[in-house]
Amino acid sequence: MVINVEVKEALDVALLSGEILLTSGSEIYRVEDTIDRICNAYGIKSECFVTPTGIFISGWSKDNPKESVSLVKRIKSRTINLHSIEIINTFSRSLQTKKVPYDEAMELLRGMENAPYFPFYRRLIASGVTSFAYAMLFGGTAVNGIVAGIISMLIYASRDKMSRVILSPFFLDFVWSFIAGLMAIFANRFIIPIDINSVIVGSIIILFPGLAMTNGIRDALYGDILSSQARLTEALFTVTAIGVGVGIVLLLMKYWM
Amino acid sequence: MREIILAFLGSYCPAILFNIERKNLFWAGICGAMGWITYDGIYILSDNKIFASFIASIVISLTSEIMAKVFRTPSTVFNVPSLLPIVPGIPAYYTVLNIIENNIQEALYKGLEAIGIAGAIAFGILLVSTVFKYINSKKNHTCL
Repeated sequence: MVINVEVKEALDVALLSGEILLTSGSEIYRVEDTIDRICNAYGIKSECFVTPTGIFISGWSKDNPKESVSLVKRIKSRTINLHSIEIINTFSRSLQTKKVPYDEAMELLRGMENAPYFPFYRRLIASGVTSFAYAMLFGGTAVNGIVAGIISMLIYASRDKMSRVILSPFFLDFVWSFIAGLMAIFANRFIIPIDINSVIVGSIIILFPGLAMTNGIRDALYGDILSSQARLTEALFTVTAIGVGVGIVLLLMKYWM
Repeated sequence: MREIILAFLGSYCPAILFNIERKNLFWAGICGAMGWITYDGIYILSDNKIFASFIASIVISLTSEIMAKVFRTPSTVFNVPSLLPIVPGIPAYYTVLNIIENNIQEALYKGLEAIGIAGAIAFGILLVSTVFKYINSKKNHTCL
């Protein structure tokens, strides 16, 4: 059987764009919209089904609907990169006015993987300041804020270095929150008296699944009930892992100290 | 004033972690600060976290949709960092913590609060995004 090259190429571009969107933490409706828009721009008909863990597309050319091509892509990891969402959004909109040839489009999309990111030290400082701000917003003093900031910077740095180790993300969240709780208690006991509650909440705020929660809500509003359930469950598991990590430390503190 | 600066930092710095474009960072911070001021003000007035989250999520969605129109980017860019202080991560975390420490009543209270806040945020977003969807669809029809 001969594969229709035109259809395959268009689907390749659509699938790669969808994959980048989904791994960057986009909502489901945006992924489906983008895939539809790209397929339309290349002049083929398509139908797609997207969940947070996979993309299924099948497409066929308008004059020969009997020969369809189907592609499946499994999505393993999901991070947050709003800049990629922005770029893909502009790319898919620009396709409508000017059709980019296949090779050029694939090159542009492959280049996205090493798109500009903020330098490491800036992200580190940002994570510290985030924790500082939240520890103070949730009723701490400046000292608490600074301790929370230092703990979160340590966690962020080690998390960034550890990201290549393949472990369950929930287990890693558990470990980081455990370490955060431990550091807060040690700081309280040996360095300076602090309000443990606000310091712990401030320092683990960078682990919280804020995006998973808002996306879960938004997916439900756009009618993607399945994806919304998946995301909310992900958020629930993450919060549970964090809570258990801190809870164990607090229990240990109660019995040992 | 202190709270406003903290809330601004609390949205500006996560925006760096979420890797949004440099020129939008400042506006994401402004959006988050407005949301937090609304939340805090209404919480002080009404002593009701769920109502406060509802109004705050309306304000945040409205600002981020308008900013998205002005800067021609998806509204997610402003929405996600600014909703971060209001999203019920902390009540959910306290729920788990209380279950571990065997304070079931407190855990139930916090858990219901988390669900209520999540629902309130959802309806806030729903309200605004429906209005904007309607406006967009009208505009597209007149263009075509």
